[in-house]
Amino acid sequence: MSNDARTDGGTVTEADPGASAGLLSGLDAYRVLLYLGLLGMLTFFLIPIESGLVTSFKTPSGVSGSLPFAPPTGGTFTFEKWRAAFDALGRGLINSALYAIPATVISALLGSFTAYGLTQSNWKQKYKAPVLALLVAGVFIPYQAVLVPLSQFWSMIPLQEWLGFLWALGINNDYASVIELIITHVAYGLPICTVLFRSYYKNMSEEMIEAARLDGASIRRIYRRIVLPLSGPMFAVVLIYQFTQIWNDLLFTLVLVQTESSAAAPIVLILAGLGTSLEGQDFALRMAGAFIAALPTLAVYIAFGEEFAEGVAT
Amino acid sequence: MGTLELDGVTKVFPDGDGEVVAVDDVDIEMRDGEFLVVVGPSGCGKSTTLRMVAGLETISSGEIRLAGQRVNDVKPQHRDIAMVFQSYALYPHMTVEGNMAFGLEESTELSDEEIETRVADAAETMGIAELLDRKPADLSGGQRQRVALGRAIVRDPEVFLMDEPLSNLDAKLRSEMRTELQRLQDELDVTTMYVTHDQTEAMTMGDRIAILNAGELQQVATPLECYHEPANRFVAGFIGDPSMNFFPVERDDETLVADVFDYPLSAPTLDDVGAVTDLTLGVRPEDIALAGDSSGEHTFSTVVEVVEPMGDENTVYLRFADAPEGETFIATVGGLQQVSAGDEITVEIPEETIHLFDGVSGEAVHNREIDE
Repeated sequence: MSNDARTDGGTVTEADPGASAGLLSGLDAYRVLLYLGLLGMLTFFLIPIESGLVTSFKTPSGVSGSLPFAPPTGGTFTFEKWRAAFDALGRGLINSALYAIPATVISALLGSFTAYGLTQSNWKQKYKAPVLALLVAGVFIPYQAVLVPLSQFWSMIPLQEWLGFLWALGINNDYASVIELIITHVAYGLPICTVLFRSYYKNMSEEMIEAARLDGASIRRIYRRIVLPLSGPMFAVVLIYQFTQIWNDLLFTLVLVQTESSAAAPIVLILAGLGTSLEGQDFALRMAGAFIAALPTLAVYIAFGEEFAEGVAT
Repeated sequence: MGTLELDGVTKVFPDGDGEVVAVDDVDIEMRDGEFLVVVGPSGCGKSTTLRMVAGLETISSGEIRLAGQRVNDVKPQHRDIAMVFQSYALYPHMTVEGNMAFGLEESTELSDEEIETRVADAAETMGIAELLDRKPADLSGGQRQRVALGRAIVRDPEVFLMDEPLSNLDAKLRSEMRTELQRLQDELDVTTMYVTHDQTEAMTMGDRIAILNAGELQQVATPLECYHEPANRFVAGFIGDPSMNFFPVERDDETLVADVFDYPLSAPTLDDVGAVTDLTLGVRPEDIALAGDSSGEHTFSTVVEVVEPMGDENTVYLRFADAPEGETFIATVGGLQQVSAGDEITVEIPEETIHLFDGVSGEAVHNREIDE
């Protein structure tokens, strides 16, 4: 998007001073080509999404009887698939939110704390350096490499016993896996969150922090009153990034929740099997399900979009 | 009472395998209410000294005493000092009022009303009362500077520390703020340590000047003492603009012999010099006078290389008649004196205006006479 804006802006400034007739005709041809090119790319990228959207509103006969990107006509139009998808995915939406939101918030907060300690505090460099090295290494550990150790680890933790009071309240004990997912995602997201916050805090004025120290603020007070309020843009970046990662992650849910029949099954697990049966694929249902599953990430992008752009730019 | 004493203060930074001495055994005593300007070229350790007083740097050895109490191990937030930074270091997300109240909220038990009153008073003093609701981003450079000062004075600390507070301002605003700061200092009478590399600020603002070079304290004295009675060649060259002219000379009995001129000395001056033979002759540009004829003992014929007219005076680059081209020294003459490049003129370097420095150590052995 920023690319578009820049290309556009560039041509405008070039065109304005050279408004004589001869130059204008040359620029017009260039512009026509440019816009055609942009339109072509727009179509190319939007066609799959458009196809998915129109397909989700089609009856089975509509899906088989028309081109994928053709809109549904009177007889083949139906909300039925969206209703069915929502019925199937509803509990998954709630389950996913149950771990994705806490894990995102906790990992962002802990990342911010850690990065603050690694940059603006006056701890000795020789203590900071190894911690940072470990965190950077943590960013590069592939998900696949930790799957077996992860399931081993959680099988050793008697989480079911510790949470006995919850099951006594009538909560399905499948929900232990929600706790497991929260802790796993926080641990796995902490390194990248810390590294992102660290680069942001490194650029923060050191004199400003020193001024706060001389003003009598302790290291905790400086974080709460100066650093945290100024971290908004980076929180937007980290929240969007982490939420998308955690919401869309299938690997950890496969290992920790395992089946869609679990009461705590997240939306990604249910979506994987949605609309698939021995009789074949129900494309309309799968499309509707995909859109429902993607809506929360879209909402997060829209909610933090402005701060996100500011945070990425710094 | 806000006395501040630095006793043998030393700062050593590790540098690879070795170490760098940034501040070397500095002794300074400031009395209550004194305005001391610490001045020196960049990298001389003046900011490090200030930061040690603030508690932002640890002290390698020596002792800093604030109001008689040793503060080496006291955290910056407990030292009761306020500092004004070069970058102003305002909190960008707070209003001017928030910026000024922050220190009181963090370091005192004052009630909200009391804080509000004190902030309003300080804002009144600084002339920023109508800006209290604005954010720093909406202020001009001069206004931010005032807020930074206001944030310091509202705390009513024992000591103010200022780290080149005027260097981000344009020339006109800088001289305005210089006057403003002097007025404030007179009014508040708080002990102030002011770091700058600008010798004009040092000369005009300070009760006393401390001159640092390469981490070592060169001289602590009033501005005029530093100007007329420099302790060594470095101070003589650093204070004054254009700076003092230096000529390496050899003493041969009663005469100073340079490559291109001889300078006879009188008995009192010779007494000061003693047995030293390797000397540096120093003379301030304004002490070099145009002479009508070359009959005097201390007159020399010179060639004018460049004239820089400043309006009130001309800065003239002169060369001894026998000296190679480019080897010039500076004299300032009245703005109405007609001097132009290429002229041959005779100048006098009066003996009562000369300074003599030890050629090896740079220590002053003889300073100019001052009419009392």
